Formats: sequence, structure tokens, C-alpha cells
Amino acid sequence: MLTMQGGGEGPVVISGRLDATQAAAAQSYLDRLDGVVTLDCAALDYLSSAGLGVLLKTHKRLLGAGGRLRLTAVNRHLQDIFSYSGFDQILEIEPGR
Amino acid sequence: MRESAAFPRRIDALSAIVAFTTAAFERLGAPPELRRDVDFVLEELFTNVVKYGRGTAPVAVDIAAIAGGVEVTLTEREAECFDVTRAPPVDTTLPAESRRPGGLGLHLIARLVDSLQYDYSPAERCSRITFRKTRTGLPPDEAAGHEGATC
Repeated sequence: MLTMQGGGEGPVVISGRLDATQAAAAQSYLDRLDGVVTLDCAALDYLSSAGLGVLLKTHKRLLGAGGRLRLTAVNRHLQDIFSYSGFDQILEIEPGR
Repeated sequence: MRESAAFPRRIDALSAIVAFTTAAFERLGAPPELRRDVDFVLEELFTNVVKYGRGTAPVAVDIAAIAGGVEVTLTEREAECFDVTRAPPVDTTLPAESRRPGGLGLHLIARLVDSLQYDYSPAERCSRITFRKTRTGLPPDEAAGHEGATC
């Protein structure tokens, strides 16, 4: 289960599991946003490579228009995935507590 | 102790796989902090079967308790040989502009598991992927490393 709320002026709050079954819905949500998009990951429990693909595609689209994707409150598990994939060198990532 | 189940080759079966691993971890008394990594590896392996496999037989998942963790086996019948231990390397240092979605799954699996083994029986057209995940990682004399098959 994945839920996404917000965007526009404030952060997008994402919660649940961003896996292969939810990637299309997440991509559709993020495709509507422009500029500097902040993803609040405090309640994002799980991310698979399908989710990484969504984040990469979104970040590249935003970069092309002068924006970017930034992630906040990233848990330890997600930090490991970002580190192993090299995404910690691509995305602005703020660890969670 | 071992828990077993079989799943249809559909992406939407992932939710049933997650429910299975959750219940299996509880019944086996496996360390709950390992479950996300196990879910991750199973999702990557299962979605590969759904995307690239040509068979129709359900995919079996077995989870067994081992010291400090679990040993998981994914069995695909009606399979072509594809050695997951010999995936091409991924350059994780490329800038965003040069990165492409996809191709990361097997790379990440290799980083997350203690050991990964691939076996293929041409006679049975059966592939079997076994990985181990423990709290501390296996000691060198017990670690199977990443062992492949000859396709």
C-alpha cells in the first residue's frame, strides 16, 4: 500500500511501500509536479528498484527544467539502498532520525 | 523449520508474497529487521520471472530458519537458464543524466545478501535461486559466496 499527499508549495508526503505494484501510480503523481520537489520519506517503509526508477525518472525530468528532487527523513534501510545504488550521489538526501 | 508457498506469475502477487514473508518470519522466529531486505530480494527476483520468464507454472518460495537469519529459495519451473550471480556490472558512479532506470536489481541483491547461489537443471527446466541473510553476515567458512551455474 502506498499513499502520496501534498506537493505544490509544500512537501510530498509519501508513506507505505513503493514497490513494483505501486510504481506507476507514484510516477503519475510525481509527473504533475515541477520545480524543486521535496519528498518527505519519514513514513516510506520500503523501496525497491522499481521505486528507484520512479525517483530517477522524476529527478531527471525536474533537472531538465531547472528543478530537482530532494528527499527528507530517509530511514536507514532506504539510505542503504541509495548508497548501494549510487543514488546518494545523485539526489539530495536528508537522513531521518 | 521451513515455510513454503507458491505464487502466480503476476506483479500483483507481490502483495501476497509480502504477506507470506511476514507470516513466515513470525512463525520461524526470524529476526524482523531482516525482512525488508528479504522482501527486496524476493521482489527483484520475482519481478524478473514475471517480466522475462516464458513459463506459466507458479513460482515457489521457501523460507527456512538458520542461525541468526533465514535461507530463502525461489524455484521457477518451465525456466530458461539465467544465472543471476553473473549479472553485468552496474556503474553506480554515473551522474543522473547518464543513468537509466532498470538494471539495478541484481546489483543490489548482491550487496544485500550474505550468499547467493544459482542452480539450473536443463532436464527439468528448473531454476533454483537460494540466498541467505543473517544479522551479522555468515562467517567466511560458512559463506557460500555467489555461486553460479553453467548455462
